[in-house]
Amino acid sequence: MLREPLLLATVLVIGICLILFVLYPIVRVFTYPTLKDFVEVPRNIRYLRAIRNSLLMVILSTSTATLFGFLFAYTVTRTDVPLKSVFKLVSILPLFSPPFMVAFSYLMMFGKNGLITAHLFGLRVSILGWHGLWLSETIAFFPVAALVMEGVLQSIAPSLEYAGRNLGATGFTLFRTITFPLARPGVAGAALLVSILILADFGNPIMIAGDFSVLATEAWLRVEGWGDVSGAAVLSSILLLPSLAIFLIQRYWVGRSSYITITGKPSQVEREPTKWFVRWSLFSFCFLVSVMVILVYVALVAGAFVRGWGFDWTPTLQYIRSIFSRSPELIHSLTFAVAAGFTSAAFSITASYLVSRKRFPLHKLMDFTCILPAALPGIFFGIGYSVAFTRPPIDLYGTAAIIILSMIFWNISMGYQTGIGAFQQISPSLGEAASNLGAGSMKILWQIEAPLVKTSFFSAFIVSFIRAVTTLSVIVFLATSSNIVATFTIMNLVSDGFYGKAAALTTALLLIAFTVLGLAKLLIGKRMELFRI
Amino acid sequence: MSTIHIKIDNASKSFGPVEALKGVSIDIPRGSFTTFLGPSGCGKTTMLRTIAGFYNLDNGDIYIGGRLINDVPSHQRNAIMVFQDYALFPHMNIGANIAYGLKINKIPQEEIRRRVARTIQYLGIEGLESRSPGQISGGQQQRAALARALVMEPEVLLLDEPLSNLDAKLRMNIRAELRQLQKRLGITTIYVTHDQAEALALSDQIAVMSKGQIIQIGSPWEIYYKPRNMFVADFVGTANLVPGKVTEKNGREVTVDIGEARLRIEEPIFEIEPGGQVTLCIRPETIQLSVSEAGESLNSLQGVITNYIFEGALVRYWVEVGKHVIIADVFDPSDKGIYTGEVTLSVHPNKVHVLSGPPQGSN
Repeated sequence: MLREPLLLATVLVIGICLILFVLYPIVRVFTYPTLKDFVEVPRNIRYLRAIRNSLLMVILSTSTATLFGFLFAYTVTRTDVPLKSVFKLVSILPLFSPPFMVAFSYLMMFGKNGLITAHLFGLRVSILGWHGLWLSETIAFFPVAALVMEGVLQSIAPSLEYAGRNLGATGFTLFRTITFPLARPGVAGAALLVSILILADFGNPIMIAGDFSVLATEAWLRVEGWGDVSGAAVLSSILLLPSLAIFLIQRYWVGRSSYITITGKPSQVEREPTKWFVRWSLFSFCFLVSVMVILVYVALVAGAFVRGWGFDWTPTLQYIRSIFSRSPELIHSLTFAVAAGFTSAAFSITASYLVSRKRFPLHKLMDFTCILPAALPGIFFGIGYSVAFTRPPIDLYGTAAIIILSMIFWNISMGYQTGIGAFQQISPSLGEAASNLGAGSMKILWQIEAPLVKTSFFSAFIVSFIRAVTTLSVIVFLATSSNIVATFTIMNLVSDGFYGKAAALTTALLLIAFTVLGLAKLLIGKRMELFRI
Repeated sequence: MSTIHIKIDNASKSFGPVEALKGVSIDIPRGSFTTFLGPSGCGKTTMLRTIAGFYNLDNGDIYIGGRLINDVPSHQRNAIMVFQDYALFPHMNIGANIAYGLKINKIPQEEIRRRVARTIQYLGIEGLESRSPGQISGGQQQRAALARALVMEPEVLLLDEPLSNLDAKLRMNIRAELRQLQKRLGITTIYVTHDQAEALALSDQIAVMSKGQIIQIGSPWEIYYKPRNMFVADFVGTANLVPGKVTEKNGREVTVDIGEARLRIEEPIFEIEPGGQVTLCIRPETIQLSVSEAGESLNSLQGVITNYIFEGALVRYWVEVGKHVIIADVFDPSDKGIYTGEVTLSVHPNKVHVLSGPPQGSN
């Protein structure tokens, strides 16, 4: 490697960036508070309540989201109900939408002054609180579980189910003795993955949970209400430990006990028709959930065109116009996310090339550090940047740079894993052949391997871009009036009750995300692999 | 053979635009070993899965033991299948895999134990019961899959290329064992393979399939020496297909002009008139190859060796005879060594099989 200065330089740059922008902020969160701050946690009632609430939500929402996801995946892969393509679409869209969107929309539909609760049924109830949060998180995160389990169910060799049927297992017996046991590791993996997201969820609780504070929102309130950065750091640290633990279990334990590696040749599958009541129940279930998902988008778009949601239903274009005329936040969101998405993709694909093709010292550490951000709650990452980079020696307070950097490095894991997968599929002998003919390492990357991983690069860009443009938790500690982005404004507007402009901004964000997604789909089509989880 | 056990009558099945089976009919005698042989995509696996009850026919009927079973679910047909990838349940150990079908069918615990133990012993896989499928070798997995089927004491055993995932040597051993086992148990067995050598070695009856249809049904000997058409001749074993023209017909004896020579052939099957185009099917092992100048003896051809491969038990020669290249096998080369240069080939009149038409085109 020493004979290849360019390669050496690349390894060094990647390594230094990872240390500075991933490891250093993590360390700073733990070192910023004093030991006394940590010791006093068990005596602080608010902290204890936040811990308890977080725990409760993880248990509740993970269970329902996983169950919903499984039923959706089972319906789509194993039955012949109508509207399957709609169900499939419905279980994908939320993956590319701002995470707080569900809560915001349900507030408009089922809140104290909600369209459905107050105006359609004349009920004086509000969804605000833990039950609203439970519903929002279930709807927001079941698609992740569905996506994982669809993959799992599809990779079960059809001959196993055939063999079961041939030996006498039909209907539910087949499901109980063969299909479900084979899917179980996948279900466990999906549940763990979902629980990480729910634990880290900030957008939904900040909007819909009311006084019911969880760790992520309590950390934010610490800073917002008391200016207590140490407290926020302590709370985020408490949040990190279970996240990291679950992440490691998911990755290194469940990942290995999977059955899906044993597969046969795929054959044309003709499934035993499901019993009418099973079909009918699954269909009604998926239909209902789909209605709940579609409702989210309907409410948002409708809200953007109504003067005063809940009291004045006159149509108006004033909110749509206002976000274009005098709002820097949308422009910021777009430019920051493009910059972050592109850099993040380039960074992560390069890192994945180095890790999968080269041997150098601390190579395992680079691998781990690239995957690590996937385990970090956005709140934790944001507070890390806030304590690490808003005071000397590195003071980026209020700059675009701090937001873009946080977006880049929070999103490298997805692109990195896509890249690792792509390089695994390309035979190293291609590179060896090029090297044999005289190409250096970086030439091989750019001339031989890069064209082959182009699709991965695109996918990495799309995912980082969409995650960047829709994130709230990461930037909530970093946004100031000079580098404000749309999600932050939306949060403030919602908490002040300005639903119209908030809905208009959210609709604009959705439009941006879906346009990019649609363009990507047109450009690279089916080969796009967006969520490698 | 004895009574008909399985009757398939005009079976048709399509997957979207693909016609997998186009009117397949065959009678399968009780206790026989019948093979569906054909290249991939010929419909043989679809046929097998239809008998197992995984696919419903679009058209036609299947009878087992005289009973129409078109609408009988898979598990009530008593036709148990061994899958190509074995389909051993990865979440159960070998013992649980073998006992699975009995348990599902609510057989008493005691009997399950007895039958599993007996089957395991029968197949020589004792001691593997508590291992998981991933922990045992391919050959052992194969036996475990067979045990899981046999423990059900099926009326019909269905085997879907069960040997294709094994290495060559193991395949030979298990082939012999399987034939012996089937004869001993007397279970009507249907076997699917694309390996013609396997089909010839195992079967009582072979049905050669192509493009969703059965081309020929017959004993291995018939299939090998009396192929009905070019496809069968070419697919089963190695055959020299030499085009020619009938010049003379004299009772059972015909003379065929192949350009370089005229061959006399005793051909009882086809009605061929003088002047008709034919293709001669000559198996390499039926050709005599000699270096001595044989002169003008019966059915001899002069040629030059252009290539050979040494296979131990035999040497296979490629001999150029005029515009033809003829493959000839010489067995037991231990004392003869390898021949080179000019040689004489000769063929006995009743060892040549005649197919009507030129080599290409017909199917």
